[in-house]
Amino acid sequence: MSELDQALQTFFVESRELLEAMEESLLTLESEPDDKEAIGAIFRAAHTIKGSGGLFGLNGIVAFTHVVENVLDRVRSDEIPVNGDLIALLLSCRDHIGMLVEQVAADASAEPDNETLATGVMLLNQLKSYQTATKETAPAVSKTNVKAESQVMTTLPSGGKVESGHWHISLRFGRDVLRNGMDPLAFIRYLDNLGEIVHVAMLPDAMPFPPDMDPESCYLGFEIDFHGDNVDKATIEGVFEFVREDCSIRILPPHSRIEEYIQFINDLPENKIALGELLVNCGSLTRKELEEALHLQEKLRVESDQEASPMLGDILVKQGVVQPELIEAALGKQKVAKENKVQESKLIRIQAEKLDQLINLVGEMVIAGAATSLLAQRTRDPALTESTSTLSRLVEEIRDSALQLRMVQIGETFSRFNRVVRDVSKEIGKEIGLSIGGAETELDKSVVEKIGDPLMHLVRNSMDHGIEKADVRVKRGKPAKGTVHLNAYHESSSIVVEVGDDGGGLNRERILAKALEKGLITANQVLSDKEIYGLIFEAGFSTAEAVTNLSGRGVGMDVVRRNIEALRGTVEIDSREGVGTTVKIRLPLTLAIIDGFLLGVGSASYVVPLDMVMECIELTEAERQLTRENNYINLRGTVLPFIRLREQFREDGKISRRENIVVVHYAGQKAGLVVDELMGEFQTVIKPLGKLFENLKGVSGSTILGSGEVALILDVPALIQRAVNVESRAVL
Amino acid sequence: MAKTVMIVDDSASLRQVVGIALRGAGYEVLEGCDGKDALSKLTGQKVHLVISDVNMPNMDGITFVKNMKLLPAYKFTPVIMLTTEAQESKKLEGQAAGAKAWVVKPFQPTQMLAAVAKLVMP
Repeated sequence: MSELDQALQTFFVESRELLEAMEESLLTLESEPDDKEAIGAIFRAAHTIKGSGGLFGLNGIVAFTHVVENVLDRVRSDEIPVNGDLIALLLSCRDHIGMLVEQVAADASAEPDNETLATGVMLLNQLKSYQTATKETAPAVSKTNVKAESQVMTTLPSGGKVESGHWHISLRFGRDVLRNGMDPLAFIRYLDNLGEIVHVAMLPDAMPFPPDMDPESCYLGFEIDFHGDNVDKATIEGVFEFVREDCSIRILPPHSRIEEYIQFINDLPENKIALGELLVNCGSLTRKELEEALHLQEKLRVESDQEASPMLGDILVKQGVVQPELIEAALGKQKVAKENKVQESKLIRIQAEKLDQLINLVGEMVIAGAATSLLAQRTRDPALTESTSTLSRLVEEIRDSALQLRMVQIGETFSRFNRVVRDVSKEIGKEIGLSIGGAETELDKSVVEKIGDPLMHLVRNSMDHGIEKADVRVKRGKPAKGTVHLNAYHESSSIVVEVGDDGGGLNRERILAKALEKGLITANQVLSDKEIYGLIFEAGFSTAEAVTNLSGRGVGMDVVRRNIEALRGTVEIDSREGVGTTVKIRLPLTLAIIDGFLLGVGSASYVVPLDMVMECIELTEAERQLTRENNYINLRGTVLPFIRLREQFREDGKISRRENIVVVHYAGQKAGLVVDELMGEFQTVIKPLGKLFENLKGVSGSTILGSGEVALILDVPALIQRAVNVESRAVL
Repeated sequence: MAKTVMIVDDSASLRQVVGIALRGAGYEVLEGCDGKDALSKLTGQKVHLVISDVNMPNMDGITFVKNMKLLPAYKFTPVIMLTTEAQESKKLEGQAAGAKAWVVKPFQPTQMLAAVAKLVMP
């Protein structure tokens, strides 16, 4: 990838972020139309995209964004009031810019398709009403000057042309030119690049006596004879573009008429005869031409006792007088841009692959470290053991820091829903707001990426089916405006993401009836509320009477569950009729490396996530006898169902003399796992199971032990579910 | 010795492209992601030219130039402002602050190089 391609990639990432920020600010503006900061942020987003887009020659993006920026500029200077229509239009414009950016991102050379073009034209037409006629800008002013200049010339009697084929440039730098950071010589040097400087004469006339001289001021003027092929006046003027206001520049083209020289000499402040001599010395004028010029000058003075026509100098002076006033007016009108209070955190952009590679390497290091520790323990060399334990502590810290790099706040994902909720509520004609909690909760980036779609479906579902129509809500004594709530928090080794609403809640009876009708359950099955609500996640289940644009087709909820389960997560639903529904998604914090607890059953080893382990107790001989038939024990007065892993995984081999119960918990439920041996904490690098083992129950992954053996990672939620179910069935 | 140019803009991609162009032309390049950041990086080293955007978070370009001109080491450092044609008044404000040169956004890297070369040869 070339440097420029990389920069282009940066542009895409940057534009996406800016568009996100733009959308967020637009939504803020909708509720607080006077939020100057939001307006500033919106303007800046458009401004930056336009500026950077131009650098890459993305003319389509520049042209469209330019119009948007103009309108935003007028909003910023309070020329257009902020209202719902404008925000809706700007949101569409934001989407269109996003579309243009994505199209270039997909294929840099492709032209936008017709549909996009049509959208663009439509939006531009709508924007038109917010635009004014373009203001008089500076270039226009200078054009009128040029006109005035030429008029001056035509009023003069014509004379002969000078012989010199050189441009003549006369420069009088302003006093402040140095203070403004401009180096007069730099311009002359640049001019030399365009052609050949035939002669330079310096005019120190304005230089005061040394005691009065300010070393920071510039007192010098220059007369330059310049020869350049294919150089036009505009190019030469362009050289001095940045000092045009600080200095007076006269440019005479080659073979100018003599009277132009006269005009020119008249305009300059220095002694006229001396100046004439100088021009002769430069080679701009011949001696004869000078004499003719001076003669003409005299004649002119007689002809026009008064100033017949305005001289260029006057125009310039007038212009000079206008300038400071203009500046002041501009200063007064334009409020000094407020310092953005939002502390934008310093970020380094890294390619995701680099990070993944780092995490992989750290994983390998953890495994290699475990092998080293094991070998060291076998040697029983205290010094070696000591140093390897230091090493493994450091490896652990590196692992944590590396994983931390991948953690991102869920807030960004959440705030995307502001727009979704706004648009959907308009679409379905219900007034619904979004409230967000726990935005700062962090989770693995790979999880964040995959959670967007399920969340989208749940939110839309809540809005479409959960929240009642306004009249129904009022009748039930609830505020007419419904609320969808997004929340996130950490719970042991999981992150819980909640999508809630204050709508009608689930109808238990209707779900049961529907499930029966679809053959998902049998009539005599006894189900808990949770299990009944869980039925809506079954494939092909939908209770909505009307299929709307958004949801209700019976696809989706089962897809939601499948997506979540693919992330080793679970989903459950809580609902109270008339009060609302909350869907809880529980996801593992990370998908890469965890702290595990190593267990031995027969000759095999298993790992459970350490955060899920509550305690370990010994299964005494007496209890062993007691529990031969029942799969539960009395744990300090509560019933603890358990699973014998030996049976679960059909482990052969000698039954060990002692057995232990590992008490694990997940999502508020507890269960015991009966194992032979407790082998302690173990850093577990999670390796996914191959396709062949995807559907294996009770196992979620594998890992490699220090000895090189493979250990299976237990799917604790599934095992708990199984233990609880077996036990409750047995009781029933 | 190569001349040093500082580019101050909140757009990373713009800094990247301008940086590539300037380095290619033989300048040393310093970057600042906003006025505040740029000021903190001006620690007395010689900077021959500053290119600054106007509209930036944390500290805008005009405030930045005003503050920079207060530092004795940078009193005479020329500044090219990046403006848009929609910001005529900003341009005047920038000139009042001491930024006399400007380049209108969007620009091509070659346009930027030409403007830079007028003020400092590489």
